[in-house]
Amino acid sequence: MLSLPLFKQTTKANGVLWSVLTVVSAALLAQFAALEMTQSLLFLIFYGVMAMILPGVYIMVSSNKLFASQIDRGSLAYVLSTPKKRSTIAFTQLLFSVGSITLLFLILTLVHIGVNAHSPLDLTVAGAAAGVYGISGNLTAAIILKINLSALLVCLAMSGVCYMFSGIFNLSKFSIGFGGAFVGISVLSNMMAMFGSLGVDVLENFKYLSICTLYDYKSILLGTDDWITKGIAALIVAVVSYTIGTVTFCKKDLPL
Amino acid sequence: MERENSIEVHNLTKDYKKGRGIFDFNFEVKKGEVFGLIGTNGSGKTTTIRHMMGFIHGDSGKVNINGLDAWKDSAKIKQYIGYVPGQIDFPDVGTGTDFLKIQSELLGLRDMSYMNDLIDRFKIDITAPLRRMSKGMKQKMALVAAFMSDADIYILDEPSTGLDPLMRDTLIQLILEKKAQGKTVFMSSHIFKEVEDTCDTVMFIRNGHIVNLVRRSQFENDPHEAFTVTFASDNDYKRYLEYDHYMLKDVPLNELIVNKNQKNKQITLNLPMSQINEFLKDLSEYSIAGFSNEAFSLEKYYTTIVEKMEV
Repeated sequence: MLSLPLFKQTTKANGVLWSVLTVVSAALLAQFAALEMTQSLLFLIFYGVMAMILPGVYIMVSSNKLFASQIDRGSLAYVLSTPKKRSTIAFTQLLFSVGSITLLFLILTLVHIGVNAHSPLDLTVAGAAAGVYGISGNLTAAIILKINLSALLVCLAMSGVCYMFSGIFNLSKFSIGFGGAFVGISVLSNMMAMFGSLGVDVLENFKYLSICTLYDYKSILLGTDDWITKGIAALIVAVVSYTIGTVTFCKKDLPL
Repeated sequence: MERENSIEVHNLTKDYKKGRGIFDFNFEVKKGEVFGLIGTNGSGKTTTIRHMMGFIHGDSGKVNINGLDAWKDSAKIKQYIGYVPGQIDFPDVGTGTDFLKIQSELLGLRDMSYMNDLIDRFKIDITAPLRRMSKGMKQKMALVAAFMSDADIYILDEPSTGLDPLMRDTLIQLILEKKAQGKTVFMSSHIFKEVEDTCDTVMFIRNGHIVNLVRRSQFENDPHEAFTVTFASDNDYKRYLEYDHYMLKDVPLNELIVNKNQKNKQITLNLPMSQINEFLKDLSEYSIAGFSNEAFSLEKYYTTIVEKMEV
């Protein structure tokens, strides 16, 4: 089912980008969480916007490299000239995508829990800055875990959609075009909607354009269960699109 | 039971519309033979090979590799195949060393001695980054990757692209070695020379149609060798043309002659190799001022025989 050498090859091809984005995200998170000046903006800026943009960039670029770019350049011919089933190849690439994104959020979670243990965040102020009122007490590890889980599920949905486009198209330009448009529109609309929640009501409608709406850290802060329903919806998007991408890749003609 | 054919193509059609594609291909590649596929760019060579590798699926017909369906069992057939792709872009893994390491892991290769032997023969610096390698260097990497596997069948899509003449000879040598070991080689090319040096059977294709399939034995007996004779006198020139030659009795001399020039007292004619003795015996009756023979070549064969057949 899994090809270890191919997993290594994919890791080599995407390792640098992943490392850079993970380090940048973790550093930003640590800074927002540790410095008093930025603590109040932790939810609004970091979890509201950055937690979608940075993984989004990684997802966009790495997904294209899984299939479409390798078919376009012809380099997939080398893997396919060995006795590996297409389904094995697809499954390996899928596992790499899910694994690398999960690891990214796992690192963010651990970093945040670590920093938070040192300088616990007062939820009243930070919540209010993000438009969440009526909460109090300190940020707990459980809340951090839930927020990151919610973000992870939405990123997997984005990854699924990009994986699907990479599996469908033989040309990089289409794969990166459709995948990039999907991630770009989602992330930017998410940002516009954030301004909406700050008082410009019209902009709030942008949330309907973005899959990031399924990521709901506010519900977690308020203690409601909305985020679970939305998370399941994101997971369904991920499973469906990963499946479509895999099946298409296994059945289509490859110009190699 | 020992299988007779390594590759069988039955009624294979892939229509890409607007006249592109391949149409009703039927041929077999016998076990242990070197089979050449010759055609101009866009004639369908790569499309044929993609079907053999199970990368694409024909509209109709099928391809069998060692008795297995190339599309349905595309993973299984790869254990028999060493493949050089037509496009030479490598996975994004860094240096040549990294690439060959991963490739040998994918192939499940344990013994690296033959790989290292090939690297020496092709004189590759595998520690160089793949992206910075020249076209010829990349091609040599691709050749090593294909030949290092212990395959039964080698499928090579224009394997000599970008190679210098010395390396092309090394490649031809390698193909002949594989043939001597009883392996099957299928190669496409638009260069007659390399096919001529190696192939037992050559198939010519054009615009997606098979034009002709030539076995080496048949090719050597067809009149394709061009001899140019210059006679010493007008008299001899005329006498030769009028004489009832006993060689090739069923073919009139006029059909063998491709060029006459009374002013230069010169005649050019095409003969099969097998008739040379008779031809020279004949000529000994005349006084000759000049004699030349154009090199034996498939290209010549293609232009004089195959293209004539098309018309």
